[in-house]
Amino acid sequence: MALSTHTTTTDFLLPSIHSAPPFFTQQLHPASLSIATEQWIQLILKYARHRRLFTIKVEDSEAPGNNWDEVLRNERINRKVLPSYLTYILAQMVSKKLAVYEPPKQDRSVLIYWRLPEEWAEVLHDWVSSTGNLNTIMTFYEITDPPIASPLSGLPIPLLRQAIAILSRSNRAQIIAIAEGEGVRFFPSTGKA
Amino acid sequence: MGGNQSVPKITAQDRAILDLKLQRDKVKQYQNNLKAVLDREEAIAKQHLQAGHKDRALVALRRRKYQQGLLLKTDGQLENLQQLVSTIEFSLIEVSVLHGLKQGNEVLKEIHKEMNAESVEKLLEETAEAREYQREIDEMLANNLSLDEEDTVQAELRELQAVVRAETEPSKDVLPSAPTSEPVATEPLAELQEQIEVGSDLARTAIPA
Repeated sequence: MALSTHTTTTDFLLPSIHSAPPFFTQQLHPASLSIATEQWIQLILKYARHRRLFTIKVEDSEAPGNNWDEVLRNERINRKVLPSYLTYILAQMVSKKLAVYEPPKQDRSVLIYWRLPEEWAEVLHDWVSSTGNLNTIMTFYEITDPPIASPLSGLPIPLLRQAIAILSRSNRAQIIAIAEGEGVRFFPSTGKA
Repeated sequence: MGGNQSVPKITAQDRAILDLKLQRDKVKQYQNNLKAVLDREEAIAKQHLQAGHKDRALVALRRRKYQQGLLLKTDGQLENLQQLVSTIEFSLIEVSVLHGLKQGNEVLKEIHKEMNAESVEKLLEETAEAREYQREIDEMLANNLSLDEEDTVQAELRELQAVVRAETEPSKDVLPSAPTSEPVATEPLAELQEQIEVGSDLARTAIPA
């Protein structure tokens, strides 16, 4: 039985394994479970990168009508990922440092690291330099919601904070806080690490 | 010391700028809300018209018009805020430019103190004297060469000039001109014929023995 890949309406190519019914069942045998879970993790990362989705929640598998339908469900073979399996997959992603529980201390919703915070820090600094905003004070809203789309549009605030923290360790960012809210100022790289 | 020395301190002006920018963000978000409400009101008005409630549609459209007016007003406020922010940021730049100029000016003054006009003049005079002295010495040395040595030196110079000229000008080798008639072999062929005759004579004389 030949499995085929399938391109979704959002122009994402689903791998052929997605057309196999067993893929959607949590395997009992440890070896097949780890292989299948690894495939699911890669699929989730790829899809998140493609659609610029930053979070995935267990409740996305509980009911349709959300951003993850195309991946968590396959109507053509009438299969979907059960919430219990998704909980397990999320736990695996967190343990491999590919995601974090956000908000912390719960296990139903994660922030996906399809790009590591260190990489986000570099992207952030490059964008600030190229738009001529070094040494100026910026608000978080300015960064996540700029009038012109940028690689950082829609970045969740927790991830933005992590990127800023990484930059401030190398003296390239400084957070300014006042009563009404927070802002950040970026500095050029000095060339010294 | 800690690693934070290269990061400048946060001044009160920075906080003021941040405050203005946060206000600007709030106005922008309010505008986005208004735009969403406008679209919804238009959809509601359409629905009412389709259901045949002309008066309700009219009410919805009036509400929409009012909100459009609000949107325009907030545009004006946004512009004010932006202008204020730009003015403050620009004046901060001006201050730093002025500071730079002041520092440059002071450095220039220090340099001028060391380099006053009199000492420069004295230095130039001394250099001119030294150069003159050196020229005299050269002349004396030049006169010390005897007549013979002078001739040898002149000959060497002429040789060197010839070498340099040969190197710089392209070589003018004399090439032979191309032949205009068929080549004629004269002596070598005659010699060869003689040798053949001599050889045959020898052969004849050998047999009778």
